Amino acid sequence: MCFLTRSEYDRGVSTFSPEGRLYQVEYAIEAIKLGSTAVGVATPHGVVLGVEKRSQSPLLLSTSIEKILTIDSHIGCAMSGLTADARTMVDHARVVGQNHRFSYDEPLLVESCSQSVCDLALRFGEGVDEQDDDEQMMSRPFGVSLLLAGIDERGPQLYHTDPSGTFMRYDAKAIGSGSEAAQSELLDKYHKNLSLEDAQVLVLGVLKQVMEERLDEHNVQLAQVTQEESFRILPINQLQNAISRLPNQQPTQEPQQ
Amino acid sequence: MNAFANELNGARGIDAALHDDFEGGSGGMPTLQLPNTADPTGFLREYTDEQNDPSCRIKINHGTTTLAFKYKGGVIVAVDSRATAGSYVASGTVKKVIEINPYLLGTMAGGAADCQYWETYLGIQCRLHELRNRERISVAAASKYLSNITYSYKGKGLSMGTMICGWDKGGPAIWYVDSDGSRTSGNVFSVGSGSTFAYGVLDQGYSYELSDDEALELGRRSIYAAGHRDAYSGNTINLYIVKETGWTHKGTIDISELHYGDWKPKNENEFRAPSEPYGYDIRHGTE
Amino acid sequence: MSFSPYTQNGGTILAIAGKDFCVVAGDTRQSEGFSIQSRYETKVWRLNEKATIAANGFAADCKQLVKRVKWRLETYKHAHNREMPLKSIARMVQTMLYGKRFFPFYSYVIIGGIDDDGTGAVYGFDPVGSYERETCRAAGAAQSLLQPFLDNQIYFRNQQPADPTNPPIPGTLPLDNVLAIVTDSFTGATERHIEVGDALEMYVVTNSNCDLGALQQITQSATKTDLEQVAREEAEFNGPKSCKTFKLLRQLKKD
Repeated sequence: MCFLTRSEYDRGVSTFSPEGRLYQVEYAIEAIKLGSTAVGVATPHGVVLGVEKRSQSPLLLSTSIEKILTIDSHIGCAMSGLTADARTMVDHARVVGQNHRFSYDEPLLVESCSQSVCDLALRFGEGVDEQDDDEQMMSRPFGVSLLLAGIDERGPQLYHTDPSGTFMRYDAKAIGSGSEAAQSELLDKYHKNLSLEDAQVLVLGVLKQVMEERLDEHNVQLAQVTQEESFRILPINQLQNAISRLPNQQPTQEPQQ
Repeated sequence: MNAFANELNGARGIDAALHDDFEGGSGGMPTLQLPNTADPTGFLREYTDEQNDPSCRIKINHGTTTLAFKYKGGVIVAVDSRATAGSYVASGTVKKVIEINPYLLGTMAGGAADCQYWETYLGIQCRLHELRNRERISVAAASKYLSNITYSYKGKGLSMGTMICGWDKGGPAIWYVDSDGSRTSGNVFSVGSGSTFAYGVLDQGYSYELSDDEALELGRRSIYAAGHRDAYSGNTINLYIVKETGWTHKGTIDISELHYGDWKPKNENEFRAPSEPYGYDIRHGTE
Repeated sequence: MSFSPYTQNGGTILAIAGKDFCVVAGDTRQSEGFSIQSRYETKVWRLNEKATIAANGFAADCKQLVKRVKWRLETYKHAHNREMPLKSIARMVQTMLYGKRFFPFYSYVIIGGIDDDGTGAVYGFDPVGSYERETCRAAGAAQSLLQPFLDNQIYFRNQQPADPTNPPIPGTLPLDNVLAIVTDSFTGATERHIEVGDALEMYVVTNSNCDLGALQQITQSATKTDLEQVAREEAEFNGPKSCKTFKLLRQLKKD
């Protein structure tokens, strides 16, 4: 019974343990390791995001699984963990993005977007009722991690956010259940001058390695952000095309393109 | 009235208003500060309403003639570009068509700032609708969003008469929204001090079966008439056409040049020149 | 007694954009009614290397507005790690003015500077925030005296071009020309408007391509004349390739 050793310091979301730890935040980070794998790769031409759409049942329609969402025309994200929490974060990011356009007549910087999502992630605590502020506090930390991909005047960027409200910029990053294996694979294969097409193949290759099911166009999803086309989720034919470029991959169907 | 002031300001004092830069991203409406008096609306009228007092201190820019009509090919939107503060022509280059997004246009009549601000605000709300629902907002929904705003400020002193024009799943659409909170759809609208003059030309030439070319000509000719007879309208005409693919700007046209028959399109996107000068005395050689 | 929070402090402001510069100017007289309160109270403020603001109307509202603008520019810099671009300042000022739609700032605002593409730009506002990018704009007590002059000199309105096939394009006049128009505008307004006079401050916002010869010439010629005292001071230098803002001071009649 190892959890007994945690004592009572893992109960409150705003109580540090004597060793200086916030257990609820740490457990939230653990929750992400149960989530499906998501991978992001930044190149000089744009950023590619890929997610695994893990299906619990053959009766589940994989088209209804949404793990990549658009935040603004130049920013999007992939998620892992409690995806319902991500909807709150993504909607917050969308509102911040549009408010920025309204107030400043310019798109929000990708870094500022990540910062605003993390600001939201920290708005949890106890004593919700005593709060006389308009801002409603959340009772627990988010149980989701995001990979934010975007492009702005500073070029293509990939950020990772976690439940502790930390965000960091990566060249390539994997999150979710397969993240450890996936990250070492990325470390091995990534280089600074990947083309966008190579990045697509890299993302799919990494996902393929960590997925239990056989990878096809129904159980993965790709998205990319480039200067020319802004953020978009790849349609099925382009996804099939990318899958067919995987080494040793027999396409499940003939690619249409 | 003070109760309303407190309600609008909420718990946010002057400090909050000062710091309000939307960065919080709560998604609520912008907060507008009110004067701390028993009658804020009366206060505003005392200092800004030039209809009652031409010597009032704060001159807010006003206009206008605007029009929009539906026909078989889409929607035509035409406006003038004069802004007046009292009897002074504050600007002759105002953009009275606000490009809310690539398939929605809003027109500006009344307070320039009211229209500019709330229609820009409407633009971001439409974009949020699009992101949340993966579908473009309908013209009806967009216009209702705006009329809900104007209705919530009813009696507070906003001055807007606007037409929200676009094309959605139901085809071409025009909704008239004003600061009283009215919201009506229709085929033909003209708003502003010069609207009576514009209607005169518009109504006698209007038919749903107009061709694109005829419709653009009618829109332009109607604003010209208003620019010619209404002292508060004039300078240039901005002409737009809305099709299923979105709106296109068909030129900025000098009213004086139309009068004397001097106007020529400056590029291939602009509407053609009229076949003859618009001015009666010019056409009939009585000058 | 009714709540009466406003007064009119006279004076006038003006901005003209060029291809690679922008001049933002204002007189320095501050008056209330027929009484002159100050002969040197500024109406023009440098915001950052690319933007200068002028505000005119009720001096207290103008000062408060500019103070808030500067505060917002500082927060923006901390939040986004860069200077706020000119068009963003313009939009922000709209939201700030409109935020007091029901208790307006009694101020007419003009922002001048260098836009994202490196060209000179002027943004003119009404007191509740309607705004527009222009080539030139005059505001304040002598607006109705200055604007028709600028329409003629800057927009070439009611002029017959010397070469009709190649008419002049507004916003392309060289700096020396524009500075002369600004000075003449204010000396003229001083003659005919009682609230204008004392001194003229001209802020010249330049991008790195701008030919500064005109500025040097003015500085040199000024020392030779007794009537006009011209002081030149660089507001700040932010590295070699960036925009620079110069401030020119010229005396106007004091009666």
